[in-house]
Amino acid sequence: MTTTALMKRRAILVFMLDRPGVLNKIAMLIRRKMYNVETLTVCKTNQPGTSRMTITLREDSDEKMRQVIKQIEKSTEVISARELDMNESFWREVAIVKFEADEDRMEVLKRTYQFEILDRQNHELFIVQVTGTSLSIDEFLQDVGADRIVEVARSGFTAMEK
Amino acid sequence: MKGTELVLKALIDNGVKFIFGYTGGAIMPIFDEMEKQDALTFIMSRHEQGAVFMAQGISRASLSTSDPRTGVCMATSGPGAMNLVTGIADANMDSVPVLAITGQVPTGVIATDAFQESDVVGVMMPLTKQTYMPLSVDEIETTIHEAMYVASSGRGGPVVVDIPKDVQLQETESVCEFDARSCEPQLPGFFYRPSVDLDSLKQAVGLINRSERPIILCGHGVISSNTGPQLQAFAERANIPVAFTLHGLSALPVDHRMSLGMVGMHGTVEANRALMNADLIISLGMRFDDRVTGNLKDFAREAAVIHVEIDPSEIDKNVKSSVALNTDVAQALNLLHRDPALVSKPRTRWFAQIDAFRLEIADQIQKEIDTGIGREGQLLVKTITSRLSRLTQGKDIIVGDVGQHQMILARFYNFQTVNSWFTSGGAGTMGCALPMSIGVKLARPNERVWSVSGDGGFQMNIQELGTIMEHDIDVKILLMNNGYLGMVRQWQTLFYDGRYAGTPMKNPDYGAIAGAYGIPYLKVSDLDQVDDAIQTAADHKGPFMLEFICDPSEIILPMVPAGGGYKEMIVSID
Repeated sequence: MTTTALMKRRAILVFMLDRPGVLNKIAMLIRRKMYNVETLTVCKTNQPGTSRMTITLREDSDEKMRQVIKQIEKSTEVISARELDMNESFWREVAIVKFEADEDRMEVLKRTYQFEILDRQNHELFIVQVTGTSLSIDEFLQDVGADRIVEVARSGFTAMEK
Repeated sequence: MKGTELVLKALIDNGVKFIFGYTGGAIMPIFDEMEKQDALTFIMSRHEQGAVFMAQGISRASLSTSDPRTGVCMATSGPGAMNLVTGIADANMDSVPVLAITGQVPTGVIATDAFQESDVVGVMMPLTKQTYMPLSVDEIETTIHEAMYVASSGRGGPVVVDIPKDVQLQETESVCEFDARSCEPQLPGFFYRPSVDLDSLKQAVGLINRSERPIILCGHGVISSNTGPQLQAFAERANIPVAFTLHGLSALPVDHRMSLGMVGMHGTVEANRALMNADLIISLGMRFDDRVTGNLKDFAREAAVIHVEIDPSEIDKNVKSSVALNTDVAQALNLLHRDPALVSKPRTRWFAQIDAFRLEIADQIQKEIDTGIGREGQLLVKTITSRLSRLTQGKDIIVGDVGQHQMILARFYNFQTVNSWFTSGGAGTMGCALPMSIGVKLARPNERVWSVSGDGGFQMNIQELGTIMEHDIDVKILLMNNGYLGMVRQWQTLFYDGRYAGTPMKNPDYGAIAGAYGIPYLKVSDLDQVDDAIQTAADHKGPFMLEFICDPSEIILPMVPAGGGYKEMIVSID
């Protein structure tokens, strides 16, 4: 357990040119600053040739955060980089979860959570897709129970400011 | 046209005259093309690290001329490119524009551990401003234009273009028709748009006007933006003393009445004490390196800070600014200097205090220089430097290596010519001086260039004597030979109870080496011979080497211990 786990979760939103090596460059910079990336998502935007990246990491100091962002912004390919206001943004994640459950259990889960069943085998092994806030996914996973879960794939955050 | 032709065309369009480098399997086609033209002069280094420092020499020295250029070096794939790494990292630390073109194995075998293959893009990325690998011949020209633009715009830095051999050999119909110098590549968000916030400017002027004990810290940015004379005029008008970082030296005459000399770990007493006591620091184009600030907790706690800096990521990085002007030093100085609200205060008490700082160890140092001989009976680098300074009237170009002699040069050479001091600062790369002086001489052929090294650094790129010999580069080589790695030895003397671990060195017969390269040589071990020897080297047409037998016990003071604050500055020992 490192001390970083105790720090505040922060998010950086970066718009950049869709060129090879940019992801590598930003990842290297974050490593050099000795952060452990919590989540990182990259996707294309509606602007051709431009990508957006959402990075979350742990940091308490506003000054250090500004410094990382300024250094990211310095990269030739980066168009803009800024911190996302966690309270003023929508945060969503997708999880695909493979778990064991019987019909009754499934009914209970369906009443409490929204998810889509992607696959079922022998009415006992399910693969479902859960979309929502990170917290709601955490709750879902907890409710299913660690001993029932076979595999989890989470997308990491994507976010948009209001 | 072929890829190889386009590489050269793009370089010529960018005004490149010299290419430094070393050939090999993956870059042969470009070298072959070079042989067919005469717009570019090729200088073969004896090691790729030499080539990158030569290219740095071109960039650093031409900054202040009417024809500023970005130095270019070339190397082959694998070991060739890897040998560039140190020089590239050095250029990155010192914000020196450099373009390195490397050959790469053909695209078909990239990432298969092919012969002489290294992941150049991967290795260079964290050490450069930008790294490219054009994958089609149609990208070559635009890539090189963009690379040159990126290297030299805003805060300068190195750029690497890694070109696979098959791409070099491809043919294309499309050729760029634009004027390279007016070309702005498609990099949204990258463009540096200097703009000074008028409120910040007003605040800055207000701080200056209110300040009783201001100090200007002149950094590399003043040299890079070629604004030494403007700084001098501003300092005179506003009546503010100027201290220099290692790379800010030679922005204005170092004996100017406003000058305090170098600041930092080995700065002058007056510069360091003034910085400690200042109520306002006006830092121009510098980044508050740890060798300048010492321990940040104790750094200028009572001072307000005006930070003028072209790179926004440097602002508030190490030292919190009171007012930040994120712009080119030239623009900021221009605005500050012309501001009608700026007042010139006499600050009599401050200057009297500074005069007292100046005297603190002046006698002690003068006595040492006059004696000229150290405890072990050999020459002092301080004395040799003072004599060199006197004989050249401080007007010549000095290229310093890294270590104790470098700090002594920075302290005791009386720089009079704008942009006449070149060395490796941020990275502190031993061995930089000999190759860098070759580039410097080619960029400023009408000025005399002295390449000064210790016996450690000299041997790190000693092979470049071959380049000097082959092209008859008129560089005066001064070797300060004390048989030790002097700076580390100094630390060992002061902080490691005099245990000289890994610092003593058995030296070769440097006269025989100079002779083997056909370079005239004199060995100087007697104080009486120093002036004549320097004069002989200065008067000689062509390269000349002087070896001074120096005293290993020499110490450069003051010294702020690493990690310590200015309060712990050592001004004398025993």
